[in-house]
Amino acid sequence: MPRLEQLAVLQGHEDRVWCASWHPTKPILATCSGDKTVRIWQATNASDPTQWQCINVLEGGHKRTIRSVAWSPDGRQLATGSFDATTGIWERDEDESGDYECVATLEGHENETKSIAWSKSGALLATCSRDKSVWIWEVEEDNDFECLSVLQEHTQDVKMVAWHPNEELLASASYDDTIKIWRDDDDDWYCADTLQGHESTVWAIDFDPSGNHLVSASADQTLKIWRRYAPGNATGIMTPRRGEAVWKCVATVKDQHERCIYSVSWSKVHGMIASSGADNIIRLFSVQEVDESAAVEGKLTPEQIKATNEPGVQLQAIKVTEVPSAHGTSDINSVAWYPNEDHADWLASGGDDGSVRIWRVVRD
Amino acid sequence: MTTLINQNPVIYEASAGHSTREWREDDENEDQEDPIDAQEIFDLIRSISDPEHPLSLEQLNVTQRDHIQVSDENNSILVEFTPTIPHCSMATLIGLCIRVRLLRCLPSRFKVDISVRKGTHQSEHAVNKQLNDKERVAAALENSHLLEVVNQCLATATSGGVVANIVKGPTAVN
Repeated sequence: MPRLEQLAVLQGHEDRVWCASWHPTKPILATCSGDKTVRIWQATNASDPTQWQCINVLEGGHKRTIRSVAWSPDGRQLATGSFDATTGIWERDEDESGDYECVATLEGHENETKSIAWSKSGALLATCSRDKSVWIWEVEEDNDFECLSVLQEHTQDVKMVAWHPNEELLASASYDDTIKIWRDDDDDWYCADTLQGHESTVWAIDFDPSGNHLVSASADQTLKIWRRYAPGNATGIMTPRRGEAVWKCVATVKDQHERCIYSVSWSKVHGMIASSGADNIIRLFSVQEVDESAAVEGKLTPEQIKATNEPGVQLQAIKVTEVPSAHGTSDINSVAWYPNEDHADWLASGGDDGSVRIWRVVRD
Repeated sequence: MTTLINQNPVIYEASAGHSTREWREDDENEDQEDPIDAQEIFDLIRSISDPEHPLSLEQLNVTQRDHIQVSDENNSILVEFTPTIPHCSMATLIGLCIRVRLLRCLPSRFKVDISVRKGTHQSEHAVNKQLNDKERVAAALENSHLLEVVNQCLATATSGGVVANIVKGPTAVN
């Protein structure tokens, strides 16, 4: 069975690490913290992933905790979401100092900005806040950002936003225990579906490589996998709104995490799911279709039989490995798979101990 | 003066002295690792001042030793508290004070859950959800006004159960 091996521990943040984000193409990681800074880390030597150095510290841009950080798809800009209610846009001065400068500050949220996400094309940026709203910004020339829409259908804090890997479709996760799917009709953004099923705050969401599945992580200590059913789908799932797909829960992972789950990452390369939270454990899952004919032939394990007997279950997330005390006795707030094939087996994590760790999947 | 939420709270007698914990023979053995128990947690929080009365949480029976569960081995602590009245709007603040006190005093290995004792508050679920959301707690503690209020309540936390005559509350004697 594969296992997770620790490659490096990156020290430097002076408070808890909230979020880790890989550069889209290079072995560079950005992390943000309660210490109000972002740190940029790079492998010292491309062939040795055990040696890392902090190459930049972005400070002074935010007055309070930086809750989230995200690279633009072209890797040219970084966006930061802070408890000071603003979103910062940072760019590296390639010609001279090599430092990052804050080139734009997006204001509008009434209080803490919790998460930010760039659409695949880089043309749109989404932000969300404790003020219950999701904002969609259009990225224009000269670091201008125009607010296209303010979406106010969540009834509580919005914890996270995530874009579909290929389409202009946004998902948001909330303290109101739901996930909402947002689409646009000629620049008019609307809520296309509300995913109900979690029994507490939904902290994190991520799409699978195809974008037809979404995984969610919750304070109810479960992960759920949701599948998109388009109108006229072969399964016969009803799509009540004309032309609109619906999302249904097709798997629930329970009895794994023992406390709140804060982060989940679905590899866009090999399809494994990593999750982490307040029980100090990083877990990896592989996802499989539940093969109902296998049940007839007696090929399923007792867990699989139990899963197939639950209504709506189509997929199964099987635990591949776990690392207990991955950040000692600290909560693990963020896990992130490396985004492309160069180092698809790398995983980054950030925790309450202030450290950032780099892991690698090893197949013995 | 502003109107108090609970005008006339019942006052209970605080256990005298600095700690109500019984002396044990092992206490003087410094090589022995000292597990943290419910009494120790109770001693840390019983002298926190109520946000609106010049009284301690122990004097108002908001905290009780029997409503604290500790597993030193599993690094877990559950503190249940009882608001003085079921519609107490201070419940979240009291819970936050307890959380901050434990955050500052305990080793970071402990996972602390704080909740209103079942059936003692009309918004029990909402209060508990908020108190155990670490992101909201972190944001609240960056709010300087709120932090000041919390620090005022914690100023008496080492006073041995009784806070009257020590802080100047809305009806303080001095």
